[in-house]
Amino acid sequence: MKILILNGNPDPNNTLFEEYLADLTEEMHALDNEVRQIKLRDLNIRYCTGCWGCWVKTPGKCVFPDDSQEVCREYVHTDFVLMASPVKMGFTTALLKKTQDRLIRILHPYVDLVENECHHHRRYDEYPKNGLLLERPQNIDDEDIQIMKDMYSRFSLNFKTELTFFGLTAQDVKEVARAIDNI
Amino acid sequence: MRLTIFNGSPRGKSSNTKLLMDQFTNGFCESAVSEVETVYLNRTKELPEQVDLFKKTEHVILAFPLYTDAMPGLVKAFIEELEPFCGRSGNPSIGFVVQSGFPEPNHSRFVERYLEKLSRRLGCRYQGTVVRGGVEGIRIQPNWMTRKLFKNFYELGKKYNEEKGFDREVMRKLAPREQLSKGRLLFFRLLNKAGKGNFYWDMQLKQNKAYEKRFDKPYQSTD
Repeated sequence: MKILILNGNPDPNNTLFEEYLADLTEEMHALDNEVRQIKLRDLNIRYCTGCWGCWVKTPGKCVFPDDSQEVCREYVHTDFVLMASPVKMGFTTALLKKTQDRLIRILHPYVDLVENECHHHRRYDEYPKNGLLLERPQNIDDEDIQIMKDMYSRFSLNFKTELTFFGLTAQDVKEVARAIDNI
Repeated sequence: MRLTIFNGSPRGKSSNTKLLMDQFTNGFCESAVSEVETVYLNRTKELPEQVDLFKKTEHVILAFPLYTDAMPGLVKAFIEELEPFCGRSGNPSIGFVVQSGFPEPNHSRFVERYLEKLSRRLGCRYQGTVVRGGVEGIRIQPNWMTRKLFKNFYELGKKYNEEKGFDREVMRKLAPREQLSKGRLLFFRLLNKAGKGNFYWDMQLKQNKAYEKRFDKPYQSTD
């Protein structure tokens, strides 16, 4: 399986998180997966301006060419995307969220009814399954976790896929690698 | 009372969020004893001053469009800056306005739960979250189509000042049902069958001479 890790950790000094992802990559490699990690903090990704250029001017492409192009290209060519982030103020980081905003170009502006609810039409034939991996600080409770799970499930529904994995960096890395490998 | 509106739309002063909040402000300003100030979070260079305003004001409204089922990235960046104020005494009360392009309020209910929890995390009195769907396109709609919506936001602002919070009845009027009604579902299906369901986007695609390219998959090839 082809796996893309979107590393949403903005802080290079958070070595625990970085080491966890490095170990996870190694474990998933050992299980015969092709793994690529993108460290979002090293890329030049601006905020989405909401101009809809990617829908009505240059369909499928953003009118601001920056490193988000690379993220989008990798995203549509992978089987599984693991969105990995420390939790800040009860949610994934702004670094990860701004990157998600820039993925909107891989959907189509047209609207379809999905179980009687409006959702975007697909632009690509296939979309990768999604996973969410969080580093949980002490001030985060189960309610916070549930809110994030539910919000990311909605993201996946709109991105023509499902949230098929959820994990915390407190879990054994081998166990997480096996769980992802079994998807 | 002193109210500060944080407009979290990436489009800033040309946003649909501003169109709605302008109506709110007009209603709010009917009573002369109150002060209201609006700042635009898309002016990211002003973030330190904006955070400072949060510290000093009495009441806050954070208004934003739903972006990929959550707050836009720049709103999350603002929220992260508020971390030092968690549990501080003297925090403002806080309310939220979430608007979406999708017509159903249901899309915004998930981030609403986050926002309610955020108020608790900050230790701010929670005023509630006003949810409104179907907002994309209001800029080009004729007056008769937006009259009711704008009137409701005006009322919301007027009553906010009187009641120090969002009026529940106006909130209900802005989100009368969570999902599309059977009638609207039928209308939507008929419109789609007639090939007119996406006229708003087709019109813009044609204006930009991009209509023929609308199904392009620029990242499909691996080279």
